[in-house]
Amino acid sequence: MQRRSFLRSLAWLGLLLVLLVTLQQLPIGQRLNLGMAPLLSVFQTPGRWWQDVSLWFDERSQLQNNYQQASLQLEKQTAQVQEVKSLREENQQLRALLNIRQLKGYFWYAAKVQGRSPDKMSQRLILLVDQARPDDVIVSSTGLVGLVDQAKSGSAVVRTILDASLAVPVTMPNSSLAALVRGEGERLIIDFVPTEQAPAVGSVFQTSGAGGMFPPGIPVARITKVTPIPGQVFAHINAVPTAHWQRESWLALASSINKTIDQKAP
Amino acid sequence: MIPPFILLLSLLGIMLNLSLSGLIIQPDWSAALLLASLLAQRSNWPWVLPGVWLHDLMLHWSSLICLPVIAFLPWLLTQADARLGAGLPQRIVLMILGLLPLLWNGWAFLQWLLTLMLCIFVWHFIAKAYAQSA
Repeated sequence: MQRRSFLRSLAWLGLLLVLLVTLQQLPIGQRLNLGMAPLLSVFQTPGRWWQDVSLWFDERSQLQNNYQQASLQLEKQTAQVQEVKSLREENQQLRALLNIRQLKGYFWYAAKVQGRSPDKMSQRLILLVDQARPDDVIVSSTGLVGLVDQAKSGSAVVRTILDASLAVPVTMPNSSLAALVRGEGERLIIDFVPTEQAPAVGSVFQTSGAGGMFPPGIPVARITKVTPIPGQVFAHINAVPTAHWQRESWLALASSINKTIDQKAP
Repeated sequence: MIPPFILLLSLLGIMLNLSLSGLIIQPDWSAALLLASLLAQRSNWPWVLPGVWLHDLMLHWSSLICLPVIAFLPWLLTQADARLGAGLPQRIVLMILGLLPLLWNGWAFLQWLLTLMLCIFVWHFIAKAYAQSA
């Protein structure tokens, strides 16, 4: 009798485990995060109020100084935007003259960080952004952050490059090296770097653009350790992300132009 | 009355974790509350385990973080109580065991320690509340 009861408990446990593993394949957590994104801003309201109130106590000269710096920065950015526009135009004309296919372009948007997972590396983020679509690229001012996993009504959840499910094709500037960066929880592993071509510790890998998922030239990983493995072609390389998204309030979102046009088409 | 209150607080804890994690070091509010409820009364498992599942999904996008370990705690508690008699030491050990998956999943040691301390604190109050209602 006791044996039968034990077997029944074991069967229930097995069934439960199978159910959990099956549910693991569905993006339930991501959907729940998307659903609660509007509520998260409520928790940040006291912080915003504190920031607003503290402005009242700032020195007038300090505020004027901040305003002047912001104006100067805006002027510089406007000039840079103009320069980029004219370079893009020139690039298109040159490509038309040389009869070269247009490269994949990206629309860039700003996205506010609404929430982040509480682990020390913040492996998952919740963003407040209208134009996000799955697989859009997220970038900070210092490098690649990750990819949009799910997006819905003004919010998006992001899987960062530390997540083991992401692999980013990378290269070193001015070299023919082609490697793959993948996440391993709190650090990055760089695969397929031949031992004799392994770069020095401190070198930075950047996106190669291979595969068309990530725009080329974005810094991804800084090498922290290179371990040659005797008898093997490739070295074991550890790295850390160049981007620091743990405390950034704003990130940039790059959405492929082709994808955006495809989505808008009826 | 206690279960809905704990579940609501646990949901608020998850939101606090998600919204303020970049600003301040905070414990895993939800895990501490749910584990404390389970340790205060092991018959609480029917509502604690779904709460832990929700916690794992919302904070880690996975069902297999704390749930597989905490799911065994009621059974382990029964076994430990039957062999050693009801006591604090085995509950402390099981509490540490229940929170260990957080360390393996990237939580900082300080956060883990805060969670452990919060769990002990909440456990004391919930046990007192159950004792008063009995």
